[in-house]
Amino acid sequence: MPREMMLSGCAASAQAAKMAQVEVICSYPIRPYTAIMMELAKMVANGELDAEFVHGEGEHAQLSVVLGAAAAGARALTGSSGVGVTYAFETYSPIAGGRIPLQMMIADRALDPPGDFGSEHTDAMSCRDQGWLMGWAENPQEAFDNCLINYRVGEDHRVLLPQFVCQDGYFVSHMPGKVVLPDQGQVDEFLPPYNLPHPLDPKRPVSHGPQIRPDQGTIMDLQRAQAMLDAPAVIREVIDDFNRIFGRNYSPFVEEYMTDDAEMAFFIMGAHTMTARHAVRHLRSQGVKIGLVKLRFVRPWPTQEVAEALSKFKAVGVVETSTSYGGAMRGGNLLHEVRASLYELPQRPLTTSFMAGLGGEMVPLKEFYYMADILSKAVKEGKTRKTVYWVGFEAEE
Amino acid sequence: MAVALKTQNLPPIKLIRNVPKEEYYVPGHRTCAGCGPALQYKLVAKAAGPNTIFLGPTGCMYVANASYLCTPYTVPWMHTQITNGGAVASGIEAAYRVLLRKGKREGELPNIIVMAGDGGSVDIGLQAMSAMMYRGHDALFICYDNEAYTNTGIQTSPTTPYGSNTTFTPPGSAIPEGKKLFPKDPPQLVIGGHPAVKYVATASVAYPVDLINKVRKALNVQGPTFLHIHCPCPKGWKFDAAKTIEVARLAIETGMWNMYEWENGEYRYQFKPKRYKPVREYLKLQGRFAHLADVHVAKLQAFVDAKVKAPGIPVETPVPTPPVH
Amino acid sequence: MFNIPKDKEVPLGCVTPAPVTEQPMMITGNWREYRPVLEPEKCDLCMNCVVFCPDACFQLDEAEEMVVLNEKYCKGCNICINECATNALTEAYELDFEDGVVRLETPF
Repeated sequence: MPREMMLSGCAASAQAAKMAQVEVICSYPIRPYTAIMMELAKMVANGELDAEFVHGEGEHAQLSVVLGAAAAGARALTGSSGVGVTYAFETYSPIAGGRIPLQMMIADRALDPPGDFGSEHTDAMSCRDQGWLMGWAENPQEAFDNCLINYRVGEDHRVLLPQFVCQDGYFVSHMPGKVVLPDQGQVDEFLPPYNLPHPLDPKRPVSHGPQIRPDQGTIMDLQRAQAMLDAPAVIREVIDDFNRIFGRNYSPFVEEYMTDDAEMAFFIMGAHTMTARHAVRHLRSQGVKIGLVKLRFVRPWPTQEVAEALSKFKAVGVVETSTSYGGAMRGGNLLHEVRASLYELPQRPLTTSFMAGLGGEMVPLKEFYYMADILSKAVKEGKTRKTVYWVGFEAEE
Repeated sequence: MAVALKTQNLPPIKLIRNVPKEEYYVPGHRTCAGCGPALQYKLVAKAAGPNTIFLGPTGCMYVANASYLCTPYTVPWMHTQITNGGAVASGIEAAYRVLLRKGKREGELPNIIVMAGDGGSVDIGLQAMSAMMYRGHDALFICYDNEAYTNTGIQTSPTTPYGSNTTFTPPGSAIPEGKKLFPKDPPQLVIGGHPAVKYVATASVAYPVDLINKVRKALNVQGPTFLHIHCPCPKGWKFDAAKTIEVARLAIETGMWNMYEWENGEYRYQFKPKRYKPVREYLKLQGRFAHLADVHVAKLQAFVDAKVKAPGIPVETPVPTPPVH
Repeated sequence: MFNIPKDKEVPLGCVTPAPVTEQPMMITGNWREYRPVLEPEKCDLCMNCVVFCPDACFQLDEAEEMVVLNEKYCKGCNICINECATNALTEAYELDFEDGVVRLETPF
């Protein structure tokens, strides 16, 4: 029987990895994701999980160990946070280009300088263009579910891509929430055994990754691009299956909250969605016509779904927990993609970006009210005054 | 259930005519004519046999062998970054452990061999190599040493000898000897700090029977092992491609290269000359040393004299003189 | 859908088949300036040419009791000539041969 428990995001992720029966795990300590590995280490030590637990000598090695393991034919898991995520950067492209569907759990942390334990999406977002699936969990339940969903999508032979399965540090990774742990039988029904097309096996020798001619480089890139093009259909199929087997009600890419008759909306992903929901509920009780759209996958970016969801509003506030210094919008990363998604629409909503929660700061309710106020003004005036607001630090308004 | 991961006992050979006939590194690769590293690859692959997985960190033995969608390896092979040969090998070994335990693969743990250049072993690849040794993975790490980053155009590496002319250490009026530093000692790096390692050896393409036997011994050992193989590079060292073996032999006869095994704490020496030839005889065959003055040769000779007193044991090397401005 | 020309196709993830006895996609015999030529009567099967060839181009034909050169891949390094114990091998200018390897249709 499925059991309901209070678990942190890290504990829930570890439970998911156990139920996915991961076979090779590679660890290296960095807060806050470390708690996932501490849980898994206990499971391996007490015989609950039959896996090889390898102590990597750094994040670069972590990714390299699981690359070897997954190429040899074992389901493999690693993870990291903050500068650990960026230290491993060299490995991300070879893993995705080699089409090795391993999983990396990221509990976000701000990048240096200087040291900052707080959560910020910049670590993972900096790695978003390497050909990995990527998405954020709002709560421990989603952290659990996303592990299974991503393994299933990534290992599908129509996709074969590695997966960044992300959760906000502390806000999700360390805050206990209600998690329904399914039966092993449900997980086994949902997630078939790991099956790489060409594993390293002396009985069937193959060569992984000889050099190519420059004129074949485009083709290699095109393969990865094609996998990303093919992934959405697989994601839809997998989410349907997940909802059926586990009794959940996920929509594959974007989730809407109180958007009926809304004139404006927050566009958001990850932990702060929870606060945003409270803010929306409160504002609604005050008669403010606001809703919320939550993003579940950053890669592949659901262009069509985002456009459809946002087209019905007059103004959209993109809540950003990552930076893109010097980017077109001079703010975070999401606004670029949101605006690009809306470009083809005959009638586009006004969009503005709110830099909030950087460095791991809370985004309290009053800040969402402040953002709603700016959106209301934009609706009234028919234009936005700025494309980026550094929430809490703006001189005017 | 405990599974015997490796029970193989690859036998030693006695004579050059006993070198296995089977090729697992077949003709059809883009290495230079007379390539020392290619020759050692051929011999290592013969020694290891069919139940083998090779890892190829970036370097000559990646770029020149695995070219344009084809490779010369009849056994499984995988490219790794120059940084992470040891780590990828660790992952493969870990995967085989669990897959064999769970009955998802049959047979024995394959021979897992990392074929790394000097840079991929003891420079940028040092961390991953050391960690593989520390964790005790059952894999063989080979440093095929051609004493420079040759694939990128002959740049100095930590094993490039003192006095070499490389494209990063060109001799000039301010720095007449070219390379000023004395080399790292790869086997000593492994022996010195990795208690899980039970077998380390040096080998040379000049002595193929010895090389094959050392590879087999390393592969029969359960646990991590390390081989440091001297591989002359005609292009990088600037000598006639026909003389690869001659140069390799002279390195041993002059004491520039020492042949030994380290097994469970004991040293055994091979091909130790009764009387060493002067280093100059080795240097004069190679264009990379052509610029050296007598004073530099004397400095190198002093280093070798100290080294051959106890081959394998590191000697104190002269501190480089500060640059003249 | 994309249109990928046949000659530019790359297998999924760049995982290629392993060769069996040789790699015909990388023929190197056309690099050769000099060809090693064997005088069989001088050969005592010391095996140095077989063992020391970096390209595995000399093989022992056990039935015939003689060593055979694979000219398709021999790069002409002349290690075999240098190492032959009985001076049974000599170098000959490649273009002096009727079948001298000058060029291939496509380099690789």
